[in-house]
Amino acid sequence: MNRQQEFVLRTIEERDVRFVRLWFTDVVGSLKSVALAPAEVEGAFEEGLGFDGSAIEGLARVFESDMLAQPDPSTFAILPWRGNGKSEQTSRMFCDVLTPDGEPSAADPRNVLKRTLEKAADMGFTCYTHPEIEFYLLKSDRPGPDGIPVPVDQAGYFDHVPGGVAQDFRRTAVTMLEDVGISVEFSHHEGGPGQNEIDLRYADALATADNIMTFRTVIREVAIQQGTYATFMPKPFSTHPGSGMHTHFSLFEGDSNAFHEPGAEYQLSKTARQFMAGILKHAPEFTAVTNQFVNSYKRLWGGGEAPSYVSWGHNNRSALVRVPLYKPGKGQASRIEYRGIDSAANPYLAYAVLLGAGLKGIEEGYELPPAAVEDISALTSAERRALGHDPLPSSLHDAVRQMEESELMPAILGEQVFENFLRNKREEWQEYRLQVTPYEINRYLGVL
Amino acid sequence: MSSLTRTLISRGFSDLEMCERFLGFPELAGLDQPELLDALALADNPDMALQSLVRLLSAVPESRTRLFPLDPDTTRPAPNEPLFRLLGASEALADFLTRHPGHLEMFDGGPSQLPAPADAAGLRSSLLRAVGADPESEVPVSALEGKDARIALRTSYRRHLCELAVRDLAADSPQEAMPGVGAELADLAAAALEAALAVARTEVGAAMGAATVAAVELAVIGMGKCGARELNYISDVDVMYVVAPRAGAETAGGAGRPEEPRPTELDETAVVRVGNALAGAVSRTIYAPEREPGLWEVDANLRPEGKDGPLVRTLDSYLAYYQRWAQSWEFQALLKARAIAGNAELGRAFEEAVAPLIWASSERDGFVESVQAMRRRVAANIPDAEADRQIKLGRGGLRDVEFSVQLLQLVHGKTDESLRVRATTAAIDALAKEGYVGRTDAALLLSHYSYLRVLEHRIQLVHMRRTHTMPSDPQQLRALARSVTGPLNTKRPSADSLLADWAKVKRSVSALHERIFYRPILATAANLSAEDAALTTDAAKARLAALGYRDAAGAVRHIEALTAGVSRRAALQRQLLPVLLGWLADGVDPDAGLLAFRRVSDALGTSHWYLGMLRDHQAAAERLCHLLSSSSLVADLLAFSPEATAWLGNSKELVPQSFESQWGEIQSTLSRHGGGPDSIRLIRLLRQREILRVAIADCCGLLDQDAVALALSDTDRAAVLGALLVAENEVYGDTEPLTRVLVVAMGRQGGREIGYGSDADVLFVHRPVAGLPESDAPAATQQAKAIVQRLTALLTAPLRPAIMAERVLTVDADLRPEGRNGPLVRSLDAYREYYQRWSSPWEAQALLRALPMAGSDQLAADFITMADPIRYPRELPEASLREIKRIKARMESERLPRGADPSRHVKLGRGGLSDVEWLVQLLQLQHAHDHPELRTTATIPALHAAVRLDLVGGEDAAVLEAAWRLAGRIRNANVMWTGKPSDLLPSARRDLEAVARWCGYEPGNATAFEEDYLGLTRRARAVFERLFYG
Repeated sequence: MNRQQEFVLRTIEERDVRFVRLWFTDVVGSLKSVALAPAEVEGAFEEGLGFDGSAIEGLARVFESDMLAQPDPSTFAILPWRGNGKSEQTSRMFCDVLTPDGEPSAADPRNVLKRTLEKAADMGFTCYTHPEIEFYLLKSDRPGPDGIPVPVDQAGYFDHVPGGVAQDFRRTAVTMLEDVGISVEFSHHEGGPGQNEIDLRYADALATADNIMTFRTVIREVAIQQGTYATFMPKPFSTHPGSGMHTHFSLFEGDSNAFHEPGAEYQLSKTARQFMAGILKHAPEFTAVTNQFVNSYKRLWGGGEAPSYVSWGHNNRSALVRVPLYKPGKGQASRIEYRGIDSAANPYLAYAVLLGAGLKGIEEGYELPPAAVEDISALTSAERRALGHDPLPSSLHDAVRQMEESELMPAILGEQVFENFLRNKREEWQEYRLQVTPYEINRYLGVL
Repeated sequence: MSSLTRTLISRGFSDLEMCERFLGFPELAGLDQPELLDALALADNPDMALQSLVRLLSAVPESRTRLFPLDPDTTRPAPNEPLFRLLGASEALADFLTRHPGHLEMFDGGPSQLPAPADAAGLRSSLLRAVGADPESEVPVSALEGKDARIALRTSYRRHLCELAVRDLAADSPQEAMPGVGAELADLAAAALEAALAVARTEVGAAMGAATVAAVELAVIGMGKCGARELNYISDVDVMYVVAPRAGAETAGGAGRPEEPRPTELDETAVVRVGNALAGAVSRTIYAPEREPGLWEVDANLRPEGKDGPLVRTLDSYLAYYQRWAQSWEFQALLKARAIAGNAELGRAFEEAVAPLIWASSERDGFVESVQAMRRRVAANIPDAEADRQIKLGRGGLRDVEFSVQLLQLVHGKTDESLRVRATTAAIDALAKEGYVGRTDAALLLSHYSYLRVLEHRIQLVHMRRTHTMPSDPQQLRALARSVTGPLNTKRPSADSLLADWAKVKRSVSALHERIFYRPILATAANLSAEDAALTTDAAKARLAALGYRDAAGAVRHIEALTAGVSRRAALQRQLLPVLLGWLADGVDPDAGLLAFRRVSDALGTSHWYLGMLRDHQAAAERLCHLLSSSSLVADLLAFSPEATAWLGNSKELVPQSFESQWGEIQSTLSRHGGGPDSIRLIRLLRQREILRVAIADCCGLLDQDAVALALSDTDRAAVLGALLVAENEVYGDTEPLTRVLVVAMGRQGGREIGYGSDADVLFVHRPVAGLPESDAPAATQQAKAIVQRLTALLTAPLRPAIMAERVLTVDADLRPEGRNGPLVRSLDAYREYYQRWSSPWEAQALLRALPMAGSDQLAADFITMADPIRYPRELPEASLREIKRIKARMESERLPRGADPSRHVKLGRGGLSDVEWLVQLLQLQHAHDHPELRTTATIPALHAAVRLDLVGGEDAAVLEAAWRLAGRIRNANVMWTGKPSDLLPSARRDLEAVARWCGYEPGNATAFEEDYLGLTRRARAVFERLFYG
């Protein structure tokens, strides 16, 4: 029993915690939760909690279904939306999934990210990330009479809506996030009606991924409390922007920012350039992970600010990787922003593949192509080809095919997650293909 | 030869020409040469003494008066022994004296007067005074700073170092003096750190304000050898810094010294900031470049988080780290932690707070694994070119001793507080006193350790360089040889004798290294005499558990049984078990290994060759332990054929017997037993014996994968041939034979690429004897069927008494035309007719692997002539091609056992054996007619031929071959490890680990192995899909 575990047990006692939820994720990033009575927590620390992994997507196959969930005491937090403030609290901890032998399960997404971070640490890097998460607030989880979801307001980017639902919502949500220990940097109304963005403060990549999982839960809970519904669906409206999860990445060596080099172009070090080159080169291979649903490709190819082509640029909002404006004297803040991820990605896997690709670029010393200076979506396709801006996969099917060809992805994800993930995505595509969509009905029924 | 040369030789000089030249230098003019040579002969290295002397005299001419002071007893001049010894032992210190001739006054006490011994307090005072700080002050602050402080501190340090060296060189027994020297060196280092801290307070005070600095308490914790008070002459000094706000800062200023500024209360961040500045200044004062060179690096890398962690922490911060994050090795490092400078109270608080953590560490998860990793690291040889000159690392080096001792301390120190000492020598004493290590072993260990340390000290002293390698220069070796024996030895030992002694010590240390772990366990289990250490039963179990035995109680029982009694065997095993237990513990399953060893030993205990082999053939005994703890297959077989153990000692016995020699043995068996029922028993025993031989040779790394498969195929072939003859004898009886039978190997048996526990896939062919009337044809077929059925029964039916642990050769004829529905045996003509009229594509495909195995040569040749046009068709019709692809696709979904994960099934799973083989066979069906080089029953040669013909790309083929081979190795490894055939890559971690090791992976790489297999087969599957399905 170490100090942190003791701390958890003491807090449970002192704060009158009645339920402890153990959280982990399946391969697609759905949150799984098991509630424990406080008396069971000590045992879970010692031996892990046994559960049947075969029921969880991508964790284990039927014949080896016994798995253990071992709570990570450093992630303990009281859930502010349960309980009555002072007593009968509910709390949560994230878990590592272990095999019955006590080995980290090769199929646990959290473990995949941990492995990648260990690799970064072996190369001398600590990785920090800072996500900007977009989502829509809707009147309900049911679409309206015309089959289109109904947003809570009709405001736009940075609009201040007096007495608006969204503003109230953001205030409550931010307070609650701070209560669970997630620092919020920024929150504002986004481009679409009912669309909001909340930026989390930068933290190490594992903590950020944990925070994103918590964030989604908090946002949904607050929405429900206020009689609305929050969705992280990548593209709920064909006519409005999709919900992305732009993420800023930086690598630190000790306490200095490895991306920063005074005097270099955009103050970007060689490490940063190689890291970016790695991400760009492998982006088509990992798009199935960062944009994992059929619907994700409606966002990627739906125009607006969503990046559809492999490119990078300084402050270029049409590029896949953007180098934010450098503020003099802020060397520690040097970073790059990946704009491809959508809000429904599994954050553990998405960060693992991005980092893994970037580290590969550093390892192999990739050359960074020249920066894109114009709006890439405004170019003709011949121009894009001439400039080497390859397209990202155009559909989930396309993305799966490109991922299958990859040697880097299995190396990052591990053979087992790689296989489970692809199987899951092939099945999704298969199901989608069987659908006759409202579009087809509208378009063809009357004329054919 | 001049008389000078003779004198020089007799005085121990090496480079005579150089010495003669030096003796002629003007600096030495006026000195009595014979006296001078006698004096120089006092030095361990007279050559060096002479050169250093000349340098000294040329720089400091007045020092010549010190060379021959008056002896107060005889009132005659006598050589200044300490000075000459130092000049001949350390060039670096001679240079120091040349730079600072003032310190030569230390030699003014008289010709044989040694400097007074120094204690820790004295050294501390002296060095503090050197920088102008008050030793009496609780928080000494120096008067000097910067360059002056550095020079003063370093000079004073080296003065004390000279005194220590002089006393060390004069010690009658350098080995006995070694612990005291190490302790004094550590005290001197601590004093230097204390003085440097006083300087740091002044320097940082100037920058940040004296009041701020005074508000911070800082303690320096010595780690490693400095913490353990067993420091070398020159080495990094490992430290950690603890800081705290000064208690009662407000009042402290007012109490004693009104002139001091009143310290102010600081928060933790500020305290850490000041601490960092102090630590940086300490390091600079000791090591930064300066006219007087730096002393040694102050190394703080053992601190939490290593280089990335903060340089100083508060006590709470240290504890938080150790309780939450620390790794096993960090606790091991804490074993040596000792407060050496700065605030003593804070230092003590640190020591007391971390002590309980150290001793709880052996209860932590992964302790056993980290211990095993540690043992492997100790055992691993240093690959670099210096390996055989390493005193510290490498087999039998200092590190061996230190690790062994620390490990025993960690295992037993939890319950026995008397083991909680820091120094290696003290720990050895404590372990011996409490009976954790035998007294004789402990004495040996101590003596070897001191010997190696003295070597190290003397080598380092010369240039004050941090080296741990034996010199190669003969002159230096001779000097070293003399220096380790001490000044009393008048005869100069040769360089060779030094190297021989050293080699002996190394050998003895590596042997002791194993023995001290296991011998005391034996003493407990076997109730040995009181001379040997006797652990309590619990201590013995704790130690066995720490070394990897899961059922420690069971292990103790086996050890008891193996060592009980007065038999020669018991006596020998008492001798050998300490080492054997270590080897068994290196396997995946030490418990099973020990049990199997006991079974073998019970069966063989009285045969003298067995005991002889264990005693005299270390390699054989090591192999035996390795086999028994890693392979159920071999352990089971050996339990029933223990005499095969003899092969381990004789590599000739581990060469697989050729088919011819096996067949010869069977024939002579048959002739002796007239082909009766006894003979089949002998045939089956012979097969079992040969499988065991192949398995053992395989384990010993004497056979590669292909050779194993060929040897096993030969063995099966001999057995089938023998069984066929017995069956024919029985069926024909005294009558004339109606027909002759041929056994054709199919499948992997036909490709001669089987593994342990493979079935024999066969096809039975017969041909009636020439001139047999047509009417007798049915009778001939009947006879053939009787022979075939008898053959199968002979090979598989249980015998009485049963052959223990037999792996029966199952004969499987399912690959015959029409499969199980077809007749078991057909005549050659019937086959011909069948294949011409009915054959389906898969039957032609099956024939690709047909290889006659037993029966008439002529019939075999005719069968092949019949088969070739079918299996190598001029053209493969499109329909057949489609059919084969369809069968393969259906097989993939149907044949896989229910619930099996296709990615882990090595035979039928993705990218497994069947994928590769079907692809190769498809190519053969398509192209072998035109390209005879494709005509082989073996997979890999056919694949290689296909590459040469450009039918498959080289890279694709490499992937396919690698996957095919790994899958085959896994199949074999499964049988080896569990004794049972399995086509699945294991999921349980221990099974996976065992299989990984059989596949050639280093211990602890199960996960990497699993990833490799899954990745390789994924790529192989991609190639297969592209090439096979198109």
